[in-house]
Amino acid sequence: MTWISARWKICLLLFPGLVFFTGFIVWPVLYAAWVSLTDFAGFGQAHFVGLHNYLMLFTTDPFFWRAVVNTFIILVVGVGILVPASFALALLLRQRIAGAGALRALAFGPAIVAPILVGLIWVFILDPRIGLLNRVLEAVGLPGAQWIGGNTLTPYAIALVFIWSSIGFAMTIFYAGLQLQPHDVTEASQIDGATAWQRIRYITIPMMRETFAIVTILLVTNVMKIFELVYMLTGGGPVHRSETLVSYMYFVTFTNQKYGPGMAIAIIVFLLGAVISGGYLTLMRRGRGE
Amino acid sequence: MTTISGFENGLGRQVAPPRRSPLTPRTRPGRARRSLWAAGIAAYIVIFLIVLPLLWIVLLSFQPSDRILGNPWSLNTLTIDNYTRAIKQLPLVRMYANTILIALVSVTVGAVVSFMASFALTRMVFRRPRLQSALRVYVLAGLAVPVYVLLFPVYRIDLTLGVFGTYLSVILPYIAVSIPFNTLLLTGFLREFPAELEEAAIIDGAGLWRLCRAIVLPVMRPVIATILIFNVVYVFNEFPFVSILINNPQLATVSLAVSRFQGQYSVDYGGMMAAATLVLVPQLAIYAMLQRQVIAGLTAGAVKG
Repeated sequence: MTWISARWKICLLLFPGLVFFTGFIVWPVLYAAWVSLTDFAGFGQAHFVGLHNYLMLFTTDPFFWRAVVNTFIILVVGVGILVPASFALALLLRQRIAGAGALRALAFGPAIVAPILVGLIWVFILDPRIGLLNRVLEAVGLPGAQWIGGNTLTPYAIALVFIWSSIGFAMTIFYAGLQLQPHDVTEASQIDGATAWQRIRYITIPMMRETFAIVTILLVTNVMKIFELVYMLTGGGPVHRSETLVSYMYFVTFTNQKYGPGMAIAIIVFLLGAVISGGYLTLMRRGRGE
Repeated sequence: MTTISGFENGLGRQVAPPRRSPLTPRTRPGRARRSLWAAGIAAYIVIFLIVLPLLWIVLLSFQPSDRILGNPWSLNTLTIDNYTRAIKQLPLVRMYANTILIALVSVTVGAVVSFMASFALTRMVFRRPRLQSALRVYVLAGLAVPVYVLLFPVYRIDLTLGVFGTYLSVILPYIAVSIPFNTLLLTGFLREFPAELEEAAIIDGAGLWRLCRAIVLPVMRPVIATILIFNVVYVFNEFPFVSILINNPQLATVSLAVSRFQGQYSVDYGGMMAAATLVLVPQLAIYAMLQRQVIAGLTAGAVKG
């Protein structure tokens, strides 16, 4: 391949991609990091203030902590339910059920609906007054609840919507992993008299440890990106009680125009994302034996 | 338990049971059939619950708004008035045209520049091989950057470049955001695919352009389809960037238009649901047609990594 590798050809091929990547990804991250260390007001001279913006977030901003707690609730409830539920669904849809292929396609459906539209759809499920959920609850004689717009339940409601939109996606990855499992081990255990539950518990799950890790990390990454749901369901309210980290970053930066603190939250989100992705990459490396 | 031991010969090799297809479950037939029935019913219930919210939206879209507040279940009040109103109010053609234009340009340019870079990063011979792998790691590190960090900086860059509020204001970041993922899949493919065919073509006198067009691109068609689908779905569904960078309603994409439904329709819930259905149905129809490719495209990062 040396014949086609003149230096100018290499540069020509690399140049446009690297320009876009550096200009719109790398430079923005550096710029955000710099702004997070200043009192930049959008115009005029910015002054270096060190870690002041970070300290203020941690010490004096109750909304920031609320956003951290909400994100954590969505993470624990959403991912905690999604991983076992989507694995169970993959096992279920692997049975020889009539129309299993079509059912798998339907389950994946929510994953391609635009997040902003998912938010709008769920307003009409979760809204305390006009939503489907409270109507169904009242029809069977149970009390309704203020799923969104109240003081406490919104993060749980957002976790529910997140579960709805991700279960087919997670199920598909588990399903692909199950298809790769060698049949001989499970068959051998079947011959030895293992029950279906024992086969899943002691053979399938241990053999799919890597798939479990991949699904978990992907879902955690996706939780960190939940923004449109908050935007449509509550707008972060009442008084920032239902913000996630990124929705609060959006509010601080673009509505309040506090660029320093806004970028400090953005950098925190970035660092969390980097840690998660780092874990993901090491895992994939180990999986391929690199 | 069934008498499994009878199916094994002395060497421990398994022998097919007589007059039974290998697909038949080896537990008691009656019990197996019953548990398969139970699994089937459970599966259908779960999938029904997943589809339910979408059905609810479609039902509401055919109800007059006062019915939605009162009794939305009755089926004899169904009407298509909501749709006539929604179509009149909604610049459907405009918002689809905007989205398609933005998607077409950003996805094409993103794929082309990623392919060029990926080819150089895997096939060309650098004088310093260290530099080559370092550049690949540099680009792939972009996978770890959440787009939310980029919003404000890109807004400033767009102002500086004088493209704020135009199509280019979102096209440029969309191209950039697609590069790390594209490079991951393209370099992953090229590294595993042997270069012999390409070497033969070069010996036969093919230049770089002919080599890529006639030899490399044809074998890469499936990966390229995967990245195109992934990127098109991303651009169609993207909201944070457009919400900040596009302020002219004339340039609004589908996502941006949907975000304004609540303000636009206020308490005209029927109209809002009709508008939502008009966005939802084409998307689901395209998904139904390209189901296999779409699922492969959206899970490629997880499955192939």
